[in-house]
Amino acid sequence: MWTSRPSRRQAIRSMVAGSPLMAGILQPLLARGGTATGDALAPRSPPSTPKAKRVIFLFMTGGVSHVDTFDPKPRLTSDVGKEVKLDHPEIKDRPGYERIFLKKPQWTFRPDSVTGIEVSDLFPHVRGCMSDIALIRSMHTDHSNHYNATLGMHTGSFAFARPSIGAWVSYGLGTENNNLPSFVVIAPAQTYAGTQVYASDFLPGAHQGTLVVPGAEPVANVRPALPTNQQLAQLKALQKLDGRHLQARGDDPALAARIRSFQTAFGMQMAVPEAFDLTRETDGTLNLYGLGRGQTSGFGWQCLVARRLVERGVRFVELIDTGSSGNWDSHGDMMDHERLARNVDRPIAGLLRDLKNRGMLDDTLVVWTTEFGRTPFNNTADAKGREHHNWAFSSWLAGAGVKRGTAYGATDEYGMRAQDNKVHIHDFHATILHLMGFDHERLTYRHAGRDYRLTDVAGETVRGVLA
Amino acid sequence: MRLSIAWLTVVLLPLPAISGPAEDHFENTIRPVLAQNCQKCHSDKKQQGGLRLDSREALLKGGDTGPALVPGKPDDSLLIKAIRHTGDLKMPSSKMLPAEQIAHLERWVRDGAVWPGPAASLPGGNVMAFGKDLWSLQPVRQPSLPVVQNAGWPKTAIDRFILARLEKEGLAPVGDADKRTLIRRATLDLTGLPPTPGEIADYLSDNSPDAFARVIDRLLASPRYGERWGRHWLDVARYADTAGDGADYPTPEAYRYRDWVIDAVQADMTYDQFIRLQIAGDLLTNPQSTDYASGVTATGFLAVGKRYGYAPNGDFQHLDIADVIESVGRSVLGLSLGCARCHDHKYDPISIRDYYALYGIFQSTQMSFPGGEEHKRPANLAPLVSPSEARRLDDEQTRQFAAIRSEVEKLQALRAQLDGSEWAGGPDLGFEGQASGQPPAKPWLSQGPNTVIPDAQSPFTHIHPAGKQGVRMAASVPHDGIRMVLPRPMRKQSGAKMHLAIDFRTLAEPKEPGACRFYFGRGVIESTAIDFSISTNQFAIRQADGWKVLRTIEPGVWHSLAVTLDPESGTIHGVVGKPGDLTTIQGTIQSTWDGVIDTFICDGLGHLPGRVCTHDLDNIAISQQPLGKFGGPTVSRPPPLPDAKDRIAQVDATLAGLKKKQDGLANRKPYPMAYAVAEGKPTNAKIQLRGEPDKLSDEVSRRFLEILGGHKVSSGSGRKEMALWLTDKQNPFTARVMVNRIWQWHFGRGLVATASDFGTRGEAPSHPELLDHLANQLVNSGWSIKAMHKALMLSRVYQLAADPSPDQQAKDPTNRLWGHFQRRPLDAESLRDQMLFVSGTLDLSRPGRHPFPAEETWGFTIHNPFHAVYESNHRSVYLMSQRNRRHPYLALFDGADPNLSSAGRLPTTTPTQALYLMNSPQVHQQAGAFAKRLLAVPGDSPSRLRLAMEMTTGHPPGPDGEREALAFLEQSRQKLAAQAGNNPDTDLQAWTGLCRVLLVSNAAMHIE
Repeated sequence: MWTSRPSRRQAIRSMVAGSPLMAGILQPLLARGGTATGDALAPRSPPSTPKAKRVIFLFMTGGVSHVDTFDPKPRLTSDVGKEVKLDHPEIKDRPGYERIFLKKPQWTFRPDSVTGIEVSDLFPHVRGCMSDIALIRSMHTDHSNHYNATLGMHTGSFAFARPSIGAWVSYGLGTENNNLPSFVVIAPAQTYAGTQVYASDFLPGAHQGTLVVPGAEPVANVRPALPTNQQLAQLKALQKLDGRHLQARGDDPALAARIRSFQTAFGMQMAVPEAFDLTRETDGTLNLYGLGRGQTSGFGWQCLVARRLVERGVRFVELIDTGSSGNWDSHGDMMDHERLARNVDRPIAGLLRDLKNRGMLDDTLVVWTTEFGRTPFNNTADAKGREHHNWAFSSWLAGAGVKRGTAYGATDEYGMRAQDNKVHIHDFHATILHLMGFDHERLTYRHAGRDYRLTDVAGETVRGVLA
Repeated sequence: MRLSIAWLTVVLLPLPAISGPAEDHFENTIRPVLAQNCQKCHSDKKQQGGLRLDSREALLKGGDTGPALVPGKPDDSLLIKAIRHTGDLKMPSSKMLPAEQIAHLERWVRDGAVWPGPAASLPGGNVMAFGKDLWSLQPVRQPSLPVVQNAGWPKTAIDRFILARLEKEGLAPVGDADKRTLIRRATLDLTGLPPTPGEIADYLSDNSPDAFARVIDRLLASPRYGERWGRHWLDVARYADTAGDGADYPTPEAYRYRDWVIDAVQADMTYDQFIRLQIAGDLLTNPQSTDYASGVTATGFLAVGKRYGYAPNGDFQHLDIADVIESVGRSVLGLSLGCARCHDHKYDPISIRDYYALYGIFQSTQMSFPGGEEHKRPANLAPLVSPSEARRLDDEQTRQFAAIRSEVEKLQALRAQLDGSEWAGGPDLGFEGQASGQPPAKPWLSQGPNTVIPDAQSPFTHIHPAGKQGVRMAASVPHDGIRMVLPRPMRKQSGAKMHLAIDFRTLAEPKEPGACRFYFGRGVIESTAIDFSISTNQFAIRQADGWKVLRTIEPGVWHSLAVTLDPESGTIHGVVGKPGDLTTIQGTIQSTWDGVIDTFICDGLGHLPGRVCTHDLDNIAISQQPLGKFGGPTVSRPPPLPDAKDRIAQVDATLAGLKKKQDGLANRKPYPMAYAVAEGKPTNAKIQLRGEPDKLSDEVSRRFLEILGGHKVSSGSGRKEMALWLTDKQNPFTARVMVNRIWQWHFGRGLVATASDFGTRGEAPSHPELLDHLANQLVNSGWSIKAMHKALMLSRVYQLAADPSPDQQAKDPTNRLWGHFQRRPLDAESLRDQMLFVSGTLDLSRPGRHPFPAEETWGFTIHNPFHAVYESNHRSVYLMSQRNRRHPYLALFDGADPNLSSAGRLPTTTPTQALYLMNSPQVHQQAGAFAKRLLAVPGDSPSRLRLAMEMTTGHPPGPDGEREALAFLEQSRQKLAAQAGNNPDTDLQAWTGLCRVLLVSNAAMHIE
């Protein structure tokens, strides 16, 4: 079942099933032979028992400096200004970068009182949660361009449009709430790779991420314009019409995705306002996220809404902290990191604590990552910024199935290259899928004559971060 | 011709010679000499004598003994003197250079000391060596038509290319689309609107072989065509109606460019001309001709991008220019030139020198400024009349303005007489109306310890009548003071004199060293007529050579100053003093004075520095009527005129009219303006290291890309020449890129899938021969886009059915081989326009400018940015498209992101779109209008249903569909009637429900 979707028709059949609205389409399809395999988004059990039932994926846009946050490198401080020679992609043939020098971190690292894991003062609140986190200090990726690296972290492909990790998880597990999308992206602005970071690409359209932009009305037009019975009658008429249209057109998945979108939208009318309504949250909870009552934006809002969405069965929630500008891309001045960290540190810690208090951290996986790290060097010793760095960066996993309170892997003395227990983004993806109960080599989709998977032809589950 | 030769050089040589003779001379002879003999002691490692000899700049700067180089003058250049070993300075000191090398260096300096290649800190330029095999760089070939097995299948040459490839892969094309599908496809494709049932019927009944060709001709002639295909270009041109900086200022004139594009496309302007005008229309049209306005408007292409900066100055200009270079590169050439801004392009043969050569062209171009945080108004808009006509109209307006102003001032003077506010000493500058014990209030401005008190009343009554109070200005710092602006300015007039007066006294205690000044002039020290000054015991006047103390004054005693200015002779005369002790004043007015007095200031900036003593002022007078003389009769207020009230009302009415006219003139240019570009000061750019404008390296001459010949600019900005280079027939990119776009807009995807990236990072063409065949055809047709439409649409490939065969699904699931037509969702504009069109509410007129707030009211900042969504029933191409906050509908349905040149739409299918289709008021309104329209047509429900289906989907309902739809209608009627009783609207509501279903059905929302 997880190896391929051999026929277009079968894919469609699965997509349109499982809803009171779908009878008009389902019946004729069934009449043409075969039985429905169920709704593409119906909840499913993965091949092996999963540790995590849902994911909250926190993406820091622009490239967070590992040596200023989660990867302490005292040698950078003691050897500051030392010239180094490297064959680095960001300095190759770059004017003004004939010579490069070590640059020291600008923030102090301190050990977490429980685990002793050192985290810098940029993330004091997250530091307090290290006992729930498996930190990976040996991440590396293939590209030092924002676009490619962002795409890589989301889709496993550095150049081509491929389904994003959220779409893969949705495809593998469906949703536990038919009235909400299985994959929701909450982002104030688009990342460098635009909509591709949450696209379903060749996977059925139902698995595409639904974009929510923080604000007073995060999902527009969600209020029904008609009494329910009238609306339902019209939607049924629409589905009959579209169903016949679809049958006559070889069950084109793009057409089926549109049909499906109406079904989800119908349910969203009730489910969304409830999910986004924070009025019933206690002051204590709001405070955990650093959120004021009535506030409808900011990363704290994104985090709290994420908790409410996964609570209601959404399978994969991605939170994007900024967008393709005003982000962690601190070429000009690393002090920018301070503002950006302040924006997310307390909300992230609040999310972890809140999930834990509710017992949800045992089956919810929280992922924190960025597209790449930042150079431990620059072209002058006193340069204020850092450049893109794909040789090493830090990410972490928290919660379900994770070996908590561990720091895994290491970079070299200057944080230049991942050295011990290196984790490529394919390994990272394989590990996330493993925690969801999947063998990353077997969660595939047949497309254009080939079985595609999130991890392309590579990736190994990182056992060292598993509980 | 020049281009083609250079072109061959690039293509044929293994390592292309990319530089001219001067550059070669330098690289082959000069650089090695300098490197081997001089740079050991004079470069970045060592600078003996403070001198570096590793860049031209360094030579020009020289060392301790001055510049080492005077380009063009070997005999004056220290470098040459030194190597000749003829003077005191002998270099290299160890040995003399061989005579041949000295001669080379002399020649090099004589020829201007050309130093190509970036400074020592830039990488050596082998960037051009790689990427030369890039397919898109090769000249467009004339491919022969391929042989196909199924010779009966192709209708056109295009078909043979497509079929040959399909056959090679063992695939066959699917069957043809039916006629209804085809006419809907063609109509939506060319006009963005669905065919009407009448148009469908005409086509169905036309059985002639050229029936479809006639449909195409009809559609190409429709004004709807220009709107549809103009929109395609506007995607590429990153068109928006706001500037996109943090405050997102509106660009109200941008619509002219939008309309220009639509008109040019509609008229089938040849594509080369279309491009040329957008680059340099202002330079390629005669300013005296009727084409000029259109030419200027076309250059809006360069200006309409995302803009940076807060004021119309050079700050952030490099980012504006970066946008222009990137947009021109992507749109016309399919090259991402922007990658060479900080370094040589990593993948394509574009060097950083190329980039800054183009940069110079746009730096020499003045772009309209949209308004920004610091300068909240547009600037440098381009007049749509010739420069001479603009001057004439500007002058005419200035004259009109002056005439109105003079009339206004006459009436104001009359009003002042009538209302008694101006008599005796002129406008009443006294303090009688002020609250006692308070600082002077309106119309005065006061800063510091100034109080209106009875104790400061002057005893004199020869200019103003006896009053009750004056102002006391207690001892204070020099910048404290009081200021008053006159209600109407006093202007220099022939034969008229100006009279000024003031009564004052100083108080001895507390003792302060400074002096206070009386300023009379225009504005706040903008143009001084005359300054006087008093310290505790001196009176002074400022003359051309400085302050002159005229007399002493007695602390505690009131003095009076009265002077008359003669603006014609520039002289001033009068008296100052106290009764029985008057001093005559004879002097000159400030020579820089512009003839206007509208402001009086008393501050502490008098003839002596320091804190100012306490002083009292009263009876200030500024008048064109002679003032009373010292010792003359006591003045008293004249009685009001009997009919004053009525006359004042009359005057006020006339004044109000004039004021409106005046404001109108002040805020409007007397000719239309465009948001476009004009020639600036021709200047070469310096390379910006890492793209940072403050890290400058070598200057680069303005020229075209090396890979396209590298031609130099001869004069002006170079835009005019660039326009020609871009559209040279030998340029291998321009035609290929455009035919690929046209293919993409017809078929959903280009032969090159990355329509704006023909570089090494883009995708290679699926059918390279076909691409070249079409590129040739475009050029040979005289660059006619309409001819290209016809060629593509008359091909059999275009007319195929939309569903793949099982074979195709298996072997070519993404339809790269075009074995079937690619079904695609309607884009945002077509979807909306179709709804408006079938519901009969589409306004097909052209709306012109958007209803932006008036410029006078603009105060947008990043914290208070411009934001608006304007309701409209016009075609979607005319919707106001905002950059920072996208139009909600266009954003939801994947409209073009106007922040960058957009290669194509990336359609998505989301539940949030479904929510819009289900619940938005817009869709409900259209469904209601559609239902009304249907009910207005005579007939029964089945005939109306048929009509509705044909209008929305192009097809009548099948038997099942008809039965179900009619049943839905009937059930709706019954349910509604049960709920609402005998509501006459029941039928309308039932139909509205059905229309809503039809409008958002997949059949309506897709083109196939």
